[in-house]
Amino acid sequence: MGLLKVSASPHIRHEDTTRVLMSDVIIAMIPLLIWGAYIFGLRVLTVTAVSVAACVIFEALFNLILKKKIPVGDMSAVVSGMLLAFNLPAGIPLWIPVVGAFFAMIIVKGLFGGLGKNFMNPVLAARVFLFGSWPAHMTAYTEPLVRLPAFGALPEMAPDAVSSATTLTVLKEGALPGDNIFDMFIGNMKGCIGEISALLILAGGLYLLVRRVITWHISASFIATVAILTFIFAPEGISNLDYMLAEICSGGLMLGAVFMATDYVTSPVTAKGRLIYGVGCGALTVFIRFLGGYPEGVSFAIIIMNLFVWYLDKATKPTKFGGGKANAKA
Amino acid sequence: MALTFKGGLHPEENKITAASPIEVMPEPGTVAIAMSQHIGAPCIPIVKKGDYVYKGQKIGEGQSGLTCPVHASVSGTVSGIEDRVGAFGQKVTHVIIENDFKSELHPDIKPNETPIEEASFEDIVNTIKEAGIAGLGGATFPTHFKISSAKGKVDGLIINCCECEPYITANHRLMLEKASDIINGIKLVMKALDINKCDIGIEDNKKDAIKVMREHTENEYGINIKVLKTKYPQGDERQLIYAIDKVQIPAGKLPADVGRVVLNAETTASIWKAYKYGIPLVDRIITVTGNCVANPKNLIVPLGTSVTDIINHCGGFTSEVEKIISGGPMMGTAQWDENAPVIKGTASILCFAKKKKASIAETCIHCGKCVGSCPMHLMPIYLASFAKLGDWESCRDFDVMSCVECGCCTYQCPGNVPIVQYIRTAKGKLKK
Repeated sequence: MGLLKVSASPHIRHEDTTRVLMSDVIIAMIPLLIWGAYIFGLRVLTVTAVSVAACVIFEALFNLILKKKIPVGDMSAVVSGMLLAFNLPAGIPLWIPVVGAFFAMIIVKGLFGGLGKNFMNPVLAARVFLFGSWPAHMTAYTEPLVRLPAFGALPEMAPDAVSSATTLTVLKEGALPGDNIFDMFIGNMKGCIGEISALLILAGGLYLLVRRVITWHISASFIATVAILTFIFAPEGISNLDYMLAEICSGGLMLGAVFMATDYVTSPVTAKGRLIYGVGCGALTVFIRFLGGYPEGVSFAIIIMNLFVWYLDKATKPTKFGGGKANAKA
Repeated sequence: MALTFKGGLHPEENKITAASPIEVMPEPGTVAIAMSQHIGAPCIPIVKKGDYVYKGQKIGEGQSGLTCPVHASVSGTVSGIEDRVGAFGQKVTHVIIENDFKSELHPDIKPNETPIEEASFEDIVNTIKEAGIAGLGGATFPTHFKISSAKGKVDGLIINCCECEPYITANHRLMLEKASDIINGIKLVMKALDINKCDIGIEDNKKDAIKVMREHTENEYGINIKVLKTKYPQGDERQLIYAIDKVQIPAGKLPADVGRVVLNAETTASIWKAYKYGIPLVDRIITVTGNCVANPKNLIVPLGTSVTDIINHCGGFTSEVEKIISGGPMMGTAQWDENAPVIKGTASILCFAKKKKASIAETCIHCGKCVGSCPMHLMPIYLASFAKLGDWESCRDFDVMSCVECGCCTYQCPGNVPIVQYIRTAKGKLKK
């Protein structure tokens, strides 16, 4: 018999490593990718491939330069790359996801210490950076079912095939968009690659819940807060319910609430903290949508709430077992 | 609805020996009896090299205070008294006995005909003390001490039959095969403590044991079966009391402070054996299991039998062994030496084969799974981070001293962070 291995307990581990969890997130996002390609054409796949490749390469290069172990095996760069692409319109010039990937993986993630250390969601920070730098490109939304080819120059598009007006712009004017609410729910509408189908996003979220990758707290409180506030503050003369439904199916709310706000690194760890965080994201989203300069507020709302994560964790620290007031007397 | 607690998790059960009846292992040629098999002061050998000892003869006795005597588990000749590496890696004095295979019981060992109803508190506690009984679940707290300090303070006894650790099935088989020993032990302890309430906590993955125990307690006044949800660490006495009584033991206090005393199932059965037959604690049931043992078994083995002898009895290894654990996979202790002897706290011998597995870098991704699974409602994520930074005061502020080291956080961690190890370091620093 050889030497025995002596190590501290526990001696068994759950098989869900970071790599498994990240792969689950990727599985949950695949239907969104397919739907995006169906609605906006195969160019969606090109944009996503460029974005994923750029994220993986930048992260690997960064770690190579710093002589650190290259962590591509954890799949987190792939998730970031997909989410970054999902936040871009299909007709985006291909250098934009590359710049975004650089900003996300190196400025926001790498420089702060890599996976687990960044204080802000890298993808959303990159989105906001791109949005501020190249607003025209970032808001050139393709009409649904105007399918763009995978490669080559984009076809000359009719003026109404690309526009910056979305359902959110209409809602901001205080009117209901012309889109049928069912189309909005299944995702037959203008928008970014991965944000259009509320149905598929919810299905992906359900998968993540069942696989215990995420808990329900953040997504539910985020969406519920937006729903309640938009219902209450719907403009006069519009059905509160219709207005609310249009608001929650528009823009990046669903994608943000299910896939972005639930990012482990930049969200609280306690159930209570997650609820407060979700409510904060929802309230800020509505605040920006109603009163801010932009039609959409999800990205801003989440990265603002990212800054409060440590305080939320600390403020919602659970009472230790046997430490409650009722027990103090015993 | 099965009773339960908040937090915890359900690892794969792997109770491969659940259907294997308890076998008596033939006595080994030599046994090495450790002089420290319990929490408290170690014993001093009271025999010397060359002495003849009977089975059940006291061979080591503590000086004073919290201690618990040890007995010869076979009859034969003392061939040596030496320091060896014990189950926890420290040097322990062992009395080595060459077995003469006569199994000659000490002449003082006689059955006791006094009915339970007529036994006095002193009789019972003294029997437990002289029999060297300590908590057999693994904690090995001297049982006579637990019972005498609980006298007058508690109104309920709880029997821990959870066996929440994966793989182990010793208590499960004990309930199926020797339920009446447990029940008689319970009656003795209830008599000693002058109480009339006892709850037996069994996890709901042992349906057959629940049925047997129900049949045995149908006509017993005050003894009730409590069905618990199968979840680790249900067998931690804090979580057990909480699941049954919905009371949290205040931090730093004992079960007696909430009016309860908790005993392990096998401990209770040995109390009965010691009282009825006069036999001290010289053997115990262990589960020999894992993924590389040829014939996993539930065995009664004499204390002091070496792991090697036990493995050989179970057909040896089927592939190269990497780790031998005394106890369960969640809280057991990895052994240094395959010749280490079985002690009172050895509930199982668990062997794991070498596995090909790429090591994953240690990276916390802040997922919070450790927070959700902590049965003590702590934030292991921050305890580990603070400990990594050497910030012991912040560890204290985040209640590191309440950690019971159950290992749920580390088991769950997708980032392969040895959280419990960081916490142990912090606790060690703060205790100084």
